[in-house]
Amino acid sequence: MSKKILLATTGSPASFGAARVAFQMAKRYGSEIIVFHVIGLPTKAYSQIVHDVRTGDEVQVDDDYKSWVEDELRNTYARQIEEAEGGVSFVLTTGVPHREILRTARSEDVDLIIMGASSGSIDHIDYKGYTGSTLQKVAKAAKCPVMTVHRESAAYRGGFNHVLFCTDFSKQANHAFKYALNTARECDCDMTMFHALDVGGKVLAQNEIEDRLIEARKRMRSLYGSQMGDFKNYDVEAWEGIPYMEIVKLARERMADLIVMAHHAGESDSDEARLGSTLEQVILRASCPVVSVNKPDKV
Amino acid sequence: MPEGTLCNKQPINTDEQLKLVLNDKGGKQYYAEMEQLDVDTEKLWNTIQKTMKSRLKTWLEICAHCGLCSESCFLYQVNGRKPEQVPSYKIQSTLGEIVKKKGQVSNEFMRHCMDVAWSWCTCCNRCGQFCPHGIDMGVMFSYLRGLLYSQGFVPWELKIGSGMHRVYRAQMDVTTEDWVETCEWMAEENEEEWPGLEIPVDKEGADIMYTCNAREPKHYPEDLAEAAILFHVAGENWTVPSEGWEQTSLSMFAGDWECCKDNVENVYAAIERLKPKRAIGTECGHAHRATVIEGPYWVGREDGQPPVPFMHYVEWLLEALETGKIKIDPAKRIKEPVTLQDSCNYVRNQGLKNVTRKIIEYIVEPGYFREMAPNKEYNYCCGGGGGFNGIGKYRPQRNVALLKKLQQIQDTGAKLVIAPCHNCWDAIRDLEEEYEIGIRWSFLKPLVINMMIVPDHLKPEE
Ligand code: SF4
Ligand code: SF4
Ligand code: SF4
Repeated sequence: MSKKILLATTGSPASFGAARVAFQMAKRYGSEIIVFHVIGLPTKAYSQIVHDVRTGDEVQVDDDYKSWVEDELRNTYARQIEEAEGGVSFVLTTGVPHREILRTARSEDVDLIIMGASSGSIDHIDYKGYTGSTLQKVAKAAKCPVMTVHRESAAYRGGFNHVLFCTDFSKQANHAFKYALNTARECDCDMTMFHALDVGGKVLAQNEIEDRLIEARKRMRSLYGSQMGDFKNYDVEAWEGIPYMEIVKLARERMADLIVMAHHAGESDSDEARLGSTLEQVILRASCPVVSVNKPDKV
Repeated sequence: MPEGTLCNKQPINTDEQLKLVLNDKGGKQYYAEMEQLDVDTEKLWNTIQKTMKSRLKTWLEICAHCGLCSESCFLYQVNGRKPEQVPSYKIQSTLGEIVKKKGQVSNEFMRHCMDVAWSWCTCCNRCGQFCPHGIDMGVMFSYLRGLLYSQGFVPWELKIGSGMHRVYRAQMDVTTEDWVETCEWMAEENEEEWPGLEIPVDKEGADIMYTCNAREPKHYPEDLAEAAILFHVAGENWTVPSEGWEQTSLSMFAGDWECCKDNVENVYAAIERLKPKRAIGTECGHAHRATVIEGPYWVGREDGQPPVPFMHYVEWLLEALETGKIKIDPAKRIKEPVTLQDSCNYVRNQGLKNVTRKIIEYIVEPGYFREMAPNKEYNYCCGGGGGFNGIGKYRPQRNVALLKKLQQIQDTGAKLVIAPCHNCWDAIRDLEEEYEIGIRWSFLKPLVINMMIVPDHLKPEE
């Protein structure tokens, strides 16, 4: 299980769910937590003034200000910090959020990034929270899995019992599979492997759909089944529909408490990407944390 | 009090002093100390006698007060055409007075000069094109800034800025280690999508040595990755130096002449050490001016040229397009109204106006490019030039200064502004933040990456 977790927080209620999951994982698995916060984006050329992401005020970031913000965060998570076993440290910085999250994840060599995702339309210059495109950019470039908790109610209720792994059979999905399997093993929980056959905008004959679903189940069994070893608690599902809807539906049906899927670069143009991709739609709608995996390094 | 602890006549040369000044919120104590700072009138007059060249002296004397330069200045235009904002008045009432009084001026007067030098003029050199005598206020204000700096009358951020150059040899606290690390990081982050991508550090004898603006490794390392991707696709043999990679010069805006020289020497030393065939600088206007246009003179190179041919990024990009090293997919060209910000620093000061327009022909579908009016060498400053963007004390004035560019952009009807200068890019972004007119802005690199044809052998497998 993740030994070192980077909790990227805006300190606002939108990221409380992410914090809750992070601290609970830390408590349960003894992980170390780095509470990471971008104070603001220095919009003013080389000046020292930034817009505080929480208040929107223009502030000058110096050591005093940083320690004041750190105190605020410590108070926000006071009880959770007290219970965290593996140690809690803070990194506060200024800059462009996705860049700074990636920078710290790299220099601290973390195993998992956990962040909230606001549904806020676009990221304007103030960076009010971590928005769709921040998430897209982090998910695309991070070497480790990225867990997103969209709302408080999606926060982990103590331990994982059912992992839903969704595949589109891409290379990245193989990495995601490994992460899903390792998690299911370590948490000793059930796992469902799922492929959603995308019929959005296509007209397919019913028997063609049936054939493709059978084919997908076969493919999952041979591709992933062979890697299961002694792990037995899994089943295989394939449905047709609009992928994100089917994923969310199945997660609800199986009471999954973790969704694992691939994020691949090709999925959408990262600058244009707002909340359109399958991954982001799943994140916004799921009632549990969602982990996206893009690289093989930390699974 | 003759000298303050934060505000004084000494440049910042140590990390401790830098931190001390930095930690003074908004320069509160710094500006308070400035009110008490003694003017060393004798030194001031000596400096003027030693450094004021005949050209400047003549300019001060021959100004006919005809006012033909007034309309040329965007700050005059956006500030209600007040007589105080007429270029000739601005310089006569500041530098002119100091010279007339042989340096015998008060603290209060020096502070007034500071306000004028850094918030009434961006050294954009536009007025010089309209004066029948060729008098260039930009040049004269740069000189005045130097005098003010040497007496300690310099805005807080610029004292810090040139201090950063002195301490870190970069306008931000990016150390050699941070820089090299960033190069590795960016190569690593993009190697999957761009197999074989490298950012070679300190390779000797490469065809190109690439230098940049410290803001890139600090906040926008993508820019470095994008340069790497474009060099990679173009098949260039290139490198970055581990030292001497930073070509900006806030010291030029601060009037710290000694530090200007040091900045350039640092870049030139890298050239001499790595012996590239030529050097290419990033999409930054003032960095180019400092390293390529004025730099050679600062370090006393007689031919007025850097040690090897040194191009601005737009020049390299055009060459790559013209030679077919980079090919554009016509289907992906920009098909929306788009305009171009001409940077004073490499357009007015070096004449690269046609270069950018030829690039536009490659990347914009015919019929969509909208010129600003006026444009090319007659373009107005972005509103944040000469250090204006970064000075907190003059933020309200800077915001007023942005109005000219706002008007120009709105008149084109374009929603996308191509701004191949870091500082113009910042000003245009701030403009959107301040006035929310619904525009986007971009450097050239990301635009070109999105529309170039990637040869099959450079694509990832799968
Ligand atoms: S250099 Fe530019 S800002 Fe300064 S007086 Fe001339 S036109 Fe105005
Ligand atoms: S145009 Fe030239 S001569 Fe006329 S007022 Fe301006 S600076 Fe003086
Ligand atoms: S920032 Fe750009 S437009 Fe503004 S003064 Fe500098 S070069 Fe000119």
